[in-house]
Amino acid sequence: MAREYDHLFKLLIIGDSGVGKSSLLLRFADNTFNGSYITTIGVDFKIQTVDVDGERVKLQIWDTAGQERFRTITSTYYRGTHGVIVVYDVTSGDSFANVKRWLHEIEQNCDVVNRVLVGNKNDAPNEKVVLTEDAQRFANQMGIQLFETSAKDNINVQEMFMAITRQVLRTKKERKERQAIQTSETVNLRKSTKQHKKKCC
Amino acid sequence: MGSRLRDNVQHLFECFCEVAAPLAEKPPWILQKYPTTFSDEEILKSVPKFAYPCEIENLMVQHFSFVLTSIDSKWTFGFCRHDPKTDTALVILSALPWHEIFYKLLNNIATLMSNGTGEDLWKFLETVYKSPVPIPGSSISIPVPNSKVNFVCQSPKQFQLPSIPENRNLTEYYSAVDAHNMMIIFASMLYERRIIFISKRLSRLSACVQACNALIYPMIWQHIYIPVLPLSLIDYLLAPMPFLIGVPTPTLQRVRKSDLGEVVILDADVNTIESPFQDLESLPQDVVTNLKKALRNRSALLGDGVSRAFLRALVQLTAGYRDALTLEQGQSITFNQNAFVESRPSSMQPFLRKMLELQIFQQFIEERLNMLNSGLGFSDEFEMEACSYSAKSGSKFMQQYREWTYAMRKESSAFFRSVKDKVKDKGKDMKTAYKGLKWKGRSNRNDTSMRFHQPRSAPSSPTSDRRPIDFTSPPKSPNGFTATTSYRKDLRLRNSNFTDPRKQYSPLSPSSPEESDSPPERVNIDLMQELRHVIFPNSPPVDRTESPEVPDLIRLDSTTSSDDFDPLLSKSSECSKQMTQSLNIPEMSEGLSNPLYPYFQPLHKSNDKQQRSSDSAGDLDLLQAYGLDFNKFNISNGGSPSKNSTVCNTSESSINIGSTFSLGLNTPAIKSQNNWTKFE
Repeated sequence: MAREYDHLFKLLIIGDSGVGKSSLLLRFADNTFNGSYITTIGVDFKIQTVDVDGERVKLQIWDTAGQERFRTITSTYYRGTHGVIVVYDVTSGDSFANVKRWLHEIEQNCDVVNRVLVGNKNDAPNEKVVLTEDAQRFANQMGIQLFETSAKDNINVQEMFMAITRQVLRTKKERKERQAIQTSETVNLRKSTKQHKKKCC
Repeated sequence: MGSRLRDNVQHLFECFCEVAAPLAEKPPWILQKYPTTFSDEEILKSVPKFAYPCEIENLMVQHFSFVLTSIDSKWTFGFCRHDPKTDTALVILSALPWHEIFYKLLNNIATLMSNGTGEDLWKFLETVYKSPVPIPGSSISIPVPNSKVNFVCQSPKQFQLPSIPENRNLTEYYSAVDAHNMMIIFASMLYERRIIFISKRLSRLSACVQACNALIYPMIWQHIYIPVLPLSLIDYLLAPMPFLIGVPTPTLQRVRKSDLGEVVILDADVNTIESPFQDLESLPQDVVTNLKKALRNRSALLGDGVSRAFLRALVQLTAGYRDALTLEQGQSITFNQNAFVESRPSSMQPFLRKMLELQIFQQFIEERLNMLNSGLGFSDEFEMEACSYSAKSGSKFMQQYREWTYAMRKESSAFFRSVKDKVKDKGKDMKTAYKGLKWKGRSNRNDTSMRFHQPRSAPSSPTSDRRPIDFTSPPKSPNGFTATTSYRKDLRLRNSNFTDPRKQYSPLSPSSPEESDSPPERVNIDLMQELRHVIFPNSPPVDRTESPEVPDLIRLDSTTSSDDFDPLLSKSSECSKQMTQSLNIPEMSEGLSNPLYPYFQPLHKSNDKQQRSSDSAGDLDLLQAYGLDFNKFNISNGGSPSKNSTVCNTSESSINIGSTFSLGLNTPAIKSQNNWTKFE
């Protein structure tokens, strides 16, 4: 049976509760076949298959409850994932502060993980407290992409998910290439040693 | 912050449901519930699925528990009973993890359902529902209609580690999984792996998951936690994050291995582990060696031996956190990661570096820092063990602490005096006064728990933060109090068995011997109170900072009657010291100079043994029921206390000598004392 996708990526969405993570997920995966289990077992996920440059990518996006209790989010938490979507609420300075701390921590640990920064609820200019410029400056400093979205009005949501997907895909391909180069190098080396030996003999 | 148990628990249980078994195509559904007003739709939707998580062979009465996690990551426990005589399951939802108690309650309910009228059942449920949650160590007793039986709900004592055979979960885990595999799981939890337990029996499955979760105390599992996974949620096994999930064996067979990824699987039915990792091997070897040694000594595993063995392993790994605290006047205490690693032997350092990357460890440090910085002292089983550990290794910390205590002594002695006066004046009324204070103390504690974080108590004990009483509320709960008293009496009775002439009452106690065990406690409490009012209002973290470290102290054996425990005590570690001394020496002020009450522990130990021996017959039965083999120890000692004492390690004999000094006062604390143990 042919697989219905070329790549399977598991992503993690993190951010305080109340920043709209689940609305983003719902907006993204409008095939809401399973009920929400975040309030029952503290974890939930959504699936969506997207097309990136002709390749079928199946995304599982996972969310867990109560992350705001973590001052730092450690690498064990995301070591099994391909990428992390970090969400704050543009109308909540606290949620942005948390996110900054987490990202700093991740940076310090030198963990290689694909990330994207998302300011959600960007639909009520009057209530906005996290300025785009500030967020952008921070994102640049961290070397990650920033998206300001509104799950409510469906603004920028697909773009954001596509961006992280491309990023993850690129990382995967780069790694493959690197591995390929390494393997071919090893092969060459071996060959040359053999030849060398032969010559010696 | 770290704790995943709820505070402010208002009711013993949230909801009782009777769930009908699935019929052909029809999924299980709720037949009836109490209170009928319970309306959390998400939970009500889930309960039937969790009550019938897979096809169930209903051949014998079976209890198991499941866990629901709310959006704030707190746990609700579902206690479930299947009975071959009916095709319904009984479920109790509660925020309290008190397995033994709720399983008993389910039995009572089942009896009522088969014998009594519906009215009886409802009335009984209502009484239980409306009863206040007993404070730690105390109990409430509710008659079951139409029978001579009472439903007794004893709130676990504070500072109590799960013990065998009293703790059903641990006993089940211990009998199903051997020591080596327990260690592997322990190590994998410390590495925050994705861990699956499987079993064909739900009771074993949930017990094993719950028990191994308790064995990482004082850490708390911060990740996905599903002791029994319903078939319909099978996809959640694909979660990439760390998890601890119990899966009925047939359910796991439906999952493709390759989809699971790197996962540790423990089959609790056959005691085997599949793991792609070398977690146990990569723990520091001396920690593993000690742990192995402790777990090999089977005779010592009865009681809290197993829990303590794992606790000590964690102490060995993490107790150094105290040496890595940076205390600076006027600043909040911080944790220096490098210092933490570098202060330890080089053989341990690679692991410790990794440990810094653990969510459970970060949360642990966070929580301790919060308590320290809030000016709250604290004490718990972990700190006690840590204290004895670092005393052995000559920690600089103790020295700092001593200095700090000295300074504090001056300040606090005034309080002591006033307290003492109060006590004396009151004479007969003391008890009442004490009552009031106690309650006050409790509400304070509560208050603090809201603002800061409470020390977690040992896994089987109720955490004080669960207490529903809030700060402003006056001594309500007459129930609770009477309960305490009766509890105390009970202890006294027990003590009387120990023919130890020396368990005397403190000289302080002006009143009858009956009350003698309380006086020291009272004093402490008062002190705490006083300190609290003085210190807390605008508490800047300044000098307090140091106090927290002290935590060790409070080995409030006296606290055992848990209500007396006040976190503040620890704050002034001195206080705890005072406590000890107060027991021996009437002069409070001197009490402070005593560094670590070495003599205390011995007492406990010896008492404990005696007590154990007297209970051993009952234990044996229980053990046999679990198929446990405690070999010679139990058998030979069966009912003879004297033999027991000989059996116990030689080290104890020396302890016994010490114990002569100790006071009977501690007796109420038997269990907790037990925990103290080793200052060699």
